[in-house]
Amino acid sequence: MKTRILSHGSVSPAGIGLTDCTTPWSESRSQPVSLIGKDSPVFSRWGKEPRIRRASPLSYYLMEAAEQALAAIPNLDRKRVGLVTAFFLGNMVYTVKFYRQITEEGRRFGSPILFPETVFNSPASHVAATLGLGGPIYSQIGDKSCWVNALRTAECWLKIGSADHVLVMGAEEFDSHVIDALRASRLLTKNIPISEGAGAILLGKTGDGPAISAISDGQSFTSRKNARSVAREGLVDFYSDYPLLSTARGWDRSVQEFAATGREVLSDDSMPCEAFTASTAWDTIRAMGMLQTHELKGIVIPHWGLTQQTGFVCLEK
Amino acid sequence: MKTSDSHRVVVTGFGGVTALGIDIPSTWESLMAGRTARGPITAFPTEGCRVAEGAQAQLPEIPACSPKQVARMSRAARLAIPACHEALLGAGLLDANGASRLPRLECVLSTTACGMEMGEGFLKSVWSSSRKGQGSLLANYQAQQQTGQLQRHFGFQGPSAILSNACASGSNAIGHAADMIGCGMAEVILTGGYDALCELVFCGFDSLLTLAPEACRPFDRNRNGLMLGEGAGFLVLESESHAKRRGATIHGFIAGYGHTTDTGHLTQPNQEGVFIESAVRQALEKASLDASRIGYLNAHGTGTPFNDSAEMKAYSKLFSAHATRISSTKAALGHTLGAAGSIEAILCLMALKTGDLPPQINLLEPEPEISLLLVGQGENSKISAALSVNLGFGGSTAAVVFTKE
Repeated sequence: MKTRILSHGSVSPAGIGLTDCTTPWSESRSQPVSLIGKDSPVFSRWGKEPRIRRASPLSYYLMEAAEQALAAIPNLDRKRVGLVTAFFLGNMVYTVKFYRQITEEGRRFGSPILFPETVFNSPASHVAATLGLGGPIYSQIGDKSCWVNALRTAECWLKIGSADHVLVMGAEEFDSHVIDALRASRLLTKNIPISEGAGAILLGKTGDGPAISAISDGQSFTSRKNARSVAREGLVDFYSDYPLLSTARGWDRSVQEFAATGREVLSDDSMPCEAFTASTAWDTIRAMGMLQTHELKGIVIPHWGLTQQTGFVCLEK
Repeated sequence: MKTSDSHRVVVTGFGGVTALGIDIPSTWESLMAGRTARGPITAFPTEGCRVAEGAQAQLPEIPACSPKQVARMSRAARLAIPACHEALLGAGLLDANGASRLPRLECVLSTTACGMEMGEGFLKSVWSSSRKGQGSLLANYQAQQQTGQLQRHFGFQGPSAILSNACASGSNAIGHAADMIGCGMAEVILTGGYDALCELVFCGFDSLLTLAPEACRPFDRNRNGLMLGEGAGFLVLESESHAKRRGATIHGFIAGYGHTTDTGHLTQPNQEGVFIESAVRQALEKASLDASRIGYLNAHGTGTPFNDSAEMKAYSKLFSAHATRISSTKAALGHTLGAAGSIEAILCLMALKTGDLPPQINLLEPEPEISLLLVGQGENSKISAALSVNLGFGGSTAAVVFTKE
């Protein structure tokens, strides 16, 4: 029995939910950056929850996206729902804040409330506690392709019966230090807008929704040049009849161009921003939409990683 | 795990670097002699911290790399590469040049701090408006960079998953790798964890007042905190059929894995030990073993009041002094966070192999609830099953059962 995507949820600077998520947005700055404003309903809605009140923005984004996906399926036994979160950057805002405290105010003046919030799996714990999830929980980190690992983990849990449903989520939060970091690492070209937010998909073995027909088990690369050949090699026999969703936004455009040779590449105006693992979740939601609007039998979603590996996912109606 | 024979999961190699030794034999010898690695921290300044001691490792040499290459590596990578070398060599997976015999090798790894001192360096350079070297600092910070370094160093490629479930990550990584092999999604996986001491994490635990000002005393009435440490532990896991096909030596079996999440509090475990008990019961059920068959339990045993009391509650319900012996090796090795589960798994395998049980050191007044179960110096027993338990922030709780056959 194939794993199906039963529902989804998303939060982005454009708003909440799929319609807003796929609305293009941009700002005209040298490095366009779109952040979720503090006036977003996400903060007023979840700021009342005791576990979330002091948490970093990342937890708020995850909460909103998770609840959207869960609320779409009535009578779900949340005690049998697992959760896998995928992060490229994780709790950057509080990590930077905590380190600033100990370097500027003194090593014994770090806040004991802040430190636990810097840990990668704190947001997943908040989500599970607040939404009453009782299944297994993993937080996975890596480049954008860790989304593929998160899907494989969910597949494994569904296969061995650890959970009846699994929420797979990607989320990122940004501040000025992250922008500096991205510039220093030359991961993004200047004209690529970057943003933050979260995306969630709920997976299960029964129900309606597109099927995840295959998840390629990842191809690691050693350099940007090597990334192109590795990606082409991984993609060549992977559902070659199906079109490829355009997901490259930065330097990985050259990888996509090289690896997709001979294949139809589907693009749209939505989601121009790079939000790393949040983008990978949004790309999955975009692909679900394209299956409908383009009347496709199937579509391949490439996840180019950015620094270490690539992976591919095939969705079928 | 409850799977067909072809999918039984075996360990064919392991390696580790700890504050007690640059490899497993030297670590084991010091551990069995009852030594502790506690000493002053020199990896970063500790002025202003309430506690300035921990278990800092001696970084092993990496002969295959030039001094310039080594200098560019994060401390985490310098711990991980030698540990991984020992594991792959032991599994017979390295050729004469030190390269992997398997061109494709899947990884399931764990860390909590990645190459944190590089990230710290980046932030300092941003705050001082110095742009020099920012790119390379970042390049060595993120966890996938250490994975990439392992792949480049040993010349293999393949998918890699990195788990960061706080201090339970190492046990989760082993359990997840075993799940993947058990359900037929992989045949051989390099699993393990690493974490290096760094200023941010050290000051974080210091801010929580959880660092022991003196000796770390797990399961003792006078316990007053944990000792942070650093290290790396790696294991090669394979399906039994894969291992037999290539004639590999089998060091033990991953017989069961259980994991739960205690969502009651971000940092404090449920004081009745409910989630620990549940994770252990899951692992025992998957291993089809009764609790009385567990000869040795390597406890999380951080030495903090809350952690140890939760564990004691759980273990007193599950185990009897006649059959199960318990110790926490964190009193000797320090708490190595994302590496703890992997290193302690290896110690369980060593206990299965040798029959020698790691003693519970630094006891002054053992807690009566568990005193009869704690391992004394020089204990030896022919055991057939061992259990490793780890807990982490966020409520992550994991238990892994190892068996000889």
